[in-house]
Amino acid sequence: MASNVPTPLFPTTRREFLQLSGRGIGLLAFSRFAPSFLVNSALAASPAPEKDRPILVLVQLAGGNDGLNTLVPYEDANYYRLRPTLGIAKDKVLRLNATVGLHPSCAALHRLTQNGKVAIVQNVGYPNPNRSHFRSSEIWETASGSNEFLATGWIGRFMDNACAGAPAGSHDPVGIHLSNGLPQSFLGASDHPTFGLLPGAGNHRENEENRRLLDSLVNQPGPGENANATYLKHTLMDALVTERKVQSVLSGYQPSATYAGNPFAASLRNVAALIAAGLPTRVYFVSLTGFDTHSNQANQQANLLTTLSEGLAAFQKDLELHRLEGQVTTMTFSEFGRRPSENESRGTDHGTAAPLFVMGARVKGGLHGTAPDLNLAHNQDLTYTTDFRSVYATMLDRWMNCPSESVLGGKFASLPIV
Amino acid sequence: MPTVTSRMKLAYSPTEAWQPLPAADWNADAAGHLLRRAGWSALPAEVEQATRDGLAATLARLFPSQPVLWSQPPLIAHLKEDIPAMARGLAGAQAGPDKQRLQREARERTQLAVLDMSIKWLQYAAQPQNAAFAKWVLFLSDVYVVGVQKVKNAALVWGHFDLLARHAFESAPALAKAVSRSPAMVAYLDLNESKRDAPNENFARELFELFLLGEGNYSEADIKESARAFTGYRQKFGTFRFAPRQHDAGIKTVFGQSGYFMGDDVIDLAFQQPAAGAFLPHEMGKFYLTDTPLPPEYLHEIGSWWSAQHFDLHALALRFFGSQLFFSPEFRGDFIKSPVQFYLGLVQDLGLSVAPLPRAVLNPLRQMGQTLFNPPNVRGWVGGRNWINSATYQARRQLVETLFAPIKEEALNADEQLELVAARANGVNNFTVADDLLAPLAALDPTVATTHLLANYLALPVAPEFRDAVRQFLAPEDADAPQKLRRLRRAAVTLLQSPEYQLC
Repeated sequence: MASNVPTPLFPTTRREFLQLSGRGIGLLAFSRFAPSFLVNSALAASPAPEKDRPILVLVQLAGGNDGLNTLVPYEDANYYRLRPTLGIAKDKVLRLNATVGLHPSCAALHRLTQNGKVAIVQNVGYPNPNRSHFRSSEIWETASGSNEFLATGWIGRFMDNACAGAPAGSHDPVGIHLSNGLPQSFLGASDHPTFGLLPGAGNHRENEENRRLLDSLVNQPGPGENANATYLKHTLMDALVTERKVQSVLSGYQPSATYAGNPFAASLRNVAALIAAGLPTRVYFVSLTGFDTHSNQANQQANLLTTLSEGLAAFQKDLELHRLEGQVTTMTFSEFGRRPSENESRGTDHGTAAPLFVMGARVKGGLHGTAPDLNLAHNQDLTYTTDFRSVYATMLDRWMNCPSESVLGGKFASLPIV
Repeated sequence: MPTVTSRMKLAYSPTEAWQPLPAADWNADAAGHLLRRAGWSALPAEVEQATRDGLAATLARLFPSQPVLWSQPPLIAHLKEDIPAMARGLAGAQAGPDKQRLQREARERTQLAVLDMSIKWLQYAAQPQNAAFAKWVLFLSDVYVVGVQKVKNAALVWGHFDLLARHAFESAPALAKAVSRSPAMVAYLDLNESKRDAPNENFARELFELFLLGEGNYSEADIKESARAFTGYRQKFGTFRFAPRQHDAGIKTVFGQSGYFMGDDVIDLAFQQPAAGAFLPHEMGKFYLTDTPLPPEYLHEIGSWWSAQHFDLHALALRFFGSQLFFSPEFRGDFIKSPVQFYLGLVQDLGLSVAPLPRAVLNPLRQMGQTLFNPPNVRGWVGGRNWINSATYQARRQLVETLFAPIKEEALNADEQLELVAARANGVNNFTVADDLLAPLAALDPTVATTHLLANYLALPVAPEFRDAVRQFLAPEDADAPQKLRRLRRAAVTLLQSPEYQLC
């Protein structure tokens, strides 16, 4: 079988595309098969990753977090009309100003907001909202329009831009996810070293056994030595090198803050460990699931918000005590908010816009954007007032130093949150 | 297509290559190779049966001349019924919020239907008795590509797969003519836009380049003239119709012949070209056999034979999968599984059912690089080594872990919980590997268990050192029963994550 790598006639990566372009092979020669990166983003080479570059931690609230009970408009009579049983009593709300405040489970986030370390962007969504978990997650993760399908994620396209010049031979991951499977956000037009850790601490012993056996198997002579087997082995060996490195960082880490004993907090602890170890990773992705509260929402959401709020606060404190807070910004997102009218099961159904949190030493704390209009008929949905891509554009332009237009395929106004 | 500089060296001459595998060479290894390449995996019971039955009987079973149809999912049926009403509603709505709402509803219904149809197809294809036929149709759909993103209506895409299945083993010209009338294809390659006075060349170009002949076997003039022959092909509400007033009825000159050609005539003319016989065998080689294209003289050999068979697809499949070339040593265990094959192979090897959970099943497929019914472009999947990079390989490893851990029910969304309840009410609950599946193996002597795992999971025998590493892992000193079970579980996970399991 062929052992030398075939020369592609069409570029499959941005780099190949540039090489072909550089050799004077015009775009038209392969425009019919143009890969999506050519269509979606113009090239902008932002600097390659290295230590001390700004880091973004994405926190996914999977299932659709109820925004109205997260950031509560406690002076709005409409809120209590729409939420006869689920409404948070005015005297329980952790007030941020004369009209809105946080859910009582968000005490830690409330404190951080008052200390100027958390920005809350109100009523974030997009036009023609989709209420399917699957599709709306896809829209958020690919940063597409509602009727637009993109093969790459917004972080993937950021990596396409930021990492085009990464030194050859570096296998350190640009993105690390602590979720079940590679987030769609991370899919790029070209292959970037990414790495996934199962959520929470995981079973160290089993993982370690697994790795050791794989290690020994991959170093055995294969059944038949062929080019594909060799290629697969190299890919796996690279991954195992990263895994060993990550595991040694995680097991040796001494957190400076106390994390709660749940998988979400453990994931954040691991993120802090990897940041403290000086990995060149630019983006971390952490997921907290269970927000799909169609029935008996009150307790479920209260527990989830406690987990979120305390987890984020421990993480921020840990970063501060390690003097890393200037390097990290954390942002939450959820595929949608929930219906303003509660349902007959003391829950809420799929809705549209919701607030999101941005946390870090460099954020401009407090409320941003405008609150949703609650003058709504029964079962009517919120109309978003801030496009989520404006939030992304802000993070890209003002935090990650990456021109947002090349990632988002258009101009979205920045917000004064960082 | 990648240009390959090195040439494949085959053990057989072109004439020998396509001769049937001698009965003496038919054994369990050969049967395993056939089952893995024609389907998704080689289950021990299937290998045993195939070895006993012989090659000819096995081929007849894998490739029955009558299609093994995939039944229409209810969501598709409803969508199809509602297309005319939805279209009328949209046409009647004034621009503004009402129209937007209707458009949104149509989109959401197709999106839901695609997820549902993807799960249903995987469930159908995972059945061992459907595997080879389902894969053959998947192969045809990788030649006659459509994508739901452009077609926009899931019912049309389902119809396209149904059409491919119904014509799967007819003559290739009959299949091509049917495809030219497939409403999904009419929409996908812009035949709908092709007018008498403004023929659209998209379909005619791909017909020659990607469906029937391959690059270099036609001229730009042939495309322009053929595009005229296909003017007037329309689809409305998922039904093909011919619009005579939009058809250019004049004389066309295609491949040096002139006449009042219609679309079907162009397809017949294309099949008279010398390149026609070799094209599909070339595609079969790429999809089923090897990353390196089969050498031209071998393709020419089978191409001439196939032309003489009037391009009978069933005869071609039997000849290809029964040939000495197909069973050549250089093609054993060196082909990278597609994500669909990796997933369905796992499902079969582990005795699981496809979970009715789009997120749990389709997200891993997407993470591994393959979204059903939505290939990247009209070329289809590139395949081979392109399936593997650091992220997609990790997604494969993670999928294995997921299949060995109980479903995290508390993390499911409400609609997913309902699906799970419904599946369980039907007695289907084997979505992940439970301990009772592994316990009998764990009770075996480690050497026997090792042999069992390696023989069941891997396409090729492994080196003694590899075998020793697995056996030692299975039998740590003083292991009690729960420890043995845990070790077996980890060994199984690791083997399924190994480079060797990515190959078939």
